[in-house]
Amino acid sequence: MESSFSATGISKSFGALKVLENVSITINSGEMVGLLGPNGAGKTTFINIVAGYEHQDSGSVSLDGNSLDGMAPHNRARIGLARTFQSGRLFSNLSVSENIALGALGLGISAKIANERTNSILEILNLEPLANLNAGSISHGNARLVGLARAVAANPKYLIMDEPAAGLNEHEVPHLLEALSKINKDLGCGMFLVEHNVGLVAKACSRVAVLNTGNLIFDGTPFDALNNDAVKTAYLGDTSLEETEESSKK
Amino acid sequence: MKKIKNISGITHFSLTELLGPALILIVFSCLIGFSSASLMLTVQLALCYFVMVLALQVFVGNSGVLSFGHGAFAMLGAFVSGLLTAPVRIKNNALSMTDLLQSIADIQVNLYLSLLIAAIVGGVVAGITGVFLMRLNGLAAGIATFALLGVAYNFFFNNTKFGPGSQALPGVPKFQNLFIPLLLALLALVLVYLLNVSSIGRTLRATREDNLAAPALGINIIRVRRIAFALSGALAGLAGAMYSHVAGTVQVQDYYLGFTFLTLSMLVIGGSGSIWGALVGTLLVISVGQVLLMMEQGKAIFGLSIDLPNGARAIFIAATLVVALLWRSSGVTNGKEFAFPNFKKKSN
Repeated sequence: MESSFSATGISKSFGALKVLENVSITINSGEMVGLLGPNGAGKTTFINIVAGYEHQDSGSVSLDGNSLDGMAPHNRARIGLARTFQSGRLFSNLSVSENIALGALGLGISAKIANERTNSILEILNLEPLANLNAGSISHGNARLVGLARAVAANPKYLIMDEPAAGLNEHEVPHLLEALSKINKDLGCGMFLVEHNVGLVAKACSRVAVLNTGNLIFDGTPFDALNNDAVKTAYLGDTSLEETEESSKK
Repeated sequence: MKKIKNISGITHFSLTELLGPALILIVFSCLIGFSSASLMLTVQLALCYFVMVLALQVFVGNSGVLSFGHGAFAMLGAFVSGLLTAPVRIKNNALSMTDLLQSIADIQVNLYLSLLIAAIVGGVVAGITGVFLMRLNGLAAGIATFALLGVAYNFFFNNTKFGPGSQALPGVPKFQNLFIPLLLALLALVLVYLLNVSSIGRTLRATREDNLAAPALGINIIRVRRIAFALSGALAGLAGAMYSHVAGTVQVQDYYLGFTFLTLSMLVIGGSGSIWGALVGTLLVISVGQVLLMMEQGKAIFGLSIDLPNGARAIFIAATLVVALLWRSSGVTNGKEFAFPNFKKKSN
């Protein structure tokens, strides 16, 4: 059976506010899937639920057919589900190498293998010059890459990334794209890229899901997403209305 | 792929980091300890405090969770070792121990075995209490561990079946020389260093840095804290037992608030992030404290006599702690392990 990670019928409310409503997404092994959505669409809540940091009101999360519901975040990580954080959340008083090594050590992997992996990842992601630096002292863009490297050190089956391009400049985004491609190619893990950056998702992912106000409004290829009216409206507002206003001004 | 060993920035076993503090401890102990009988006693006490500060470093320094409860394990270790080594004749006849359980009064083991048992008991009790306490963070953890200290104090203070209650336990055999406490301190130093560079030490420091990111890496925060708490409880038990064999008695008050405050101050002033910090903090506080104590007693130091009022020593340590917390929260050593000064780098 082919490996897959799925969230089925996920709903979540905070008080009267419905954040997610019946959202279902499946990722297959080796696939890179993007999750797009404007601010407040529910993307981070969705990630927190699948990684075990929050509990859904209804629905189910499963890996290879086995339910993960009720499983603590560290146990989800141990069965192959790694995640990154929107704010990086590096261990700022530890070195870049130590941060990456902890990605493997946390799973109970021996120090020798953890060091091997760290060495390899530093090389693959061109982070070697930063190895000895304090993680709190590196640039925002590099911190994003180190966060990614740390998650990759766990050698996960599925990697969930929470807006890795947030705050990166136009020179750093291609570097991130290259890193994502390398990880996908070298590790062959399923990757779930939650992003604002439509361009990055369109280039990196073979499939895109779009969330808007807690509802899944699209699931298909990036090309179809860019031409989908519901997606356009979610991102750009009611374009027909804007066009009407512009023509009336003329 | 490149050779794996010694990737820069990775925590590795370093002989310098271990031997540096060990040699300084040996030199300090021998130089000061052999100069007079009273200073020998001071050094023996310093070695007990050092083991206690190491115990705190293992847990408080690495996890970032404050514990006021380690005095309870030291108290337990002191009573276990004191009661196991005090002569049967004294335990059966001392006025302060008429209610002592006969099975405790009739038992006597040698010093080394009693130290081992004290460490084991400290570790086991810490392991059991840790099951509940390690679920707490921040202020809640501080208050709960303080409550543990209060429970232990009241148990031993009011209970005459398991000790002398509020009285002193007499007849506890004293260390006859410097070597046993020094050897124990060196053993504790090596154990703590090995723990700090192990996976447990490294993952524990990750939980201190960010307790949301750590579980995402598969780290079970409660489990690693529990292991560290049990190990530090064992060391605190050993420290308490050592203290009882330096003092030649066990009195519950010796392990309560003053002891807790003093040892935590040593850790913070030296730098809670490393064993080097634990050593520097202990030696600084003990040395300065000894000088201030002599001044309080009106003794001349290098021919100079300065009279200080009683309590000056405690005020000085408290003030130093406040200064350290305000301006140097990572301590004198900045939380770093021992390293030789890099003069070459400075000259560039």
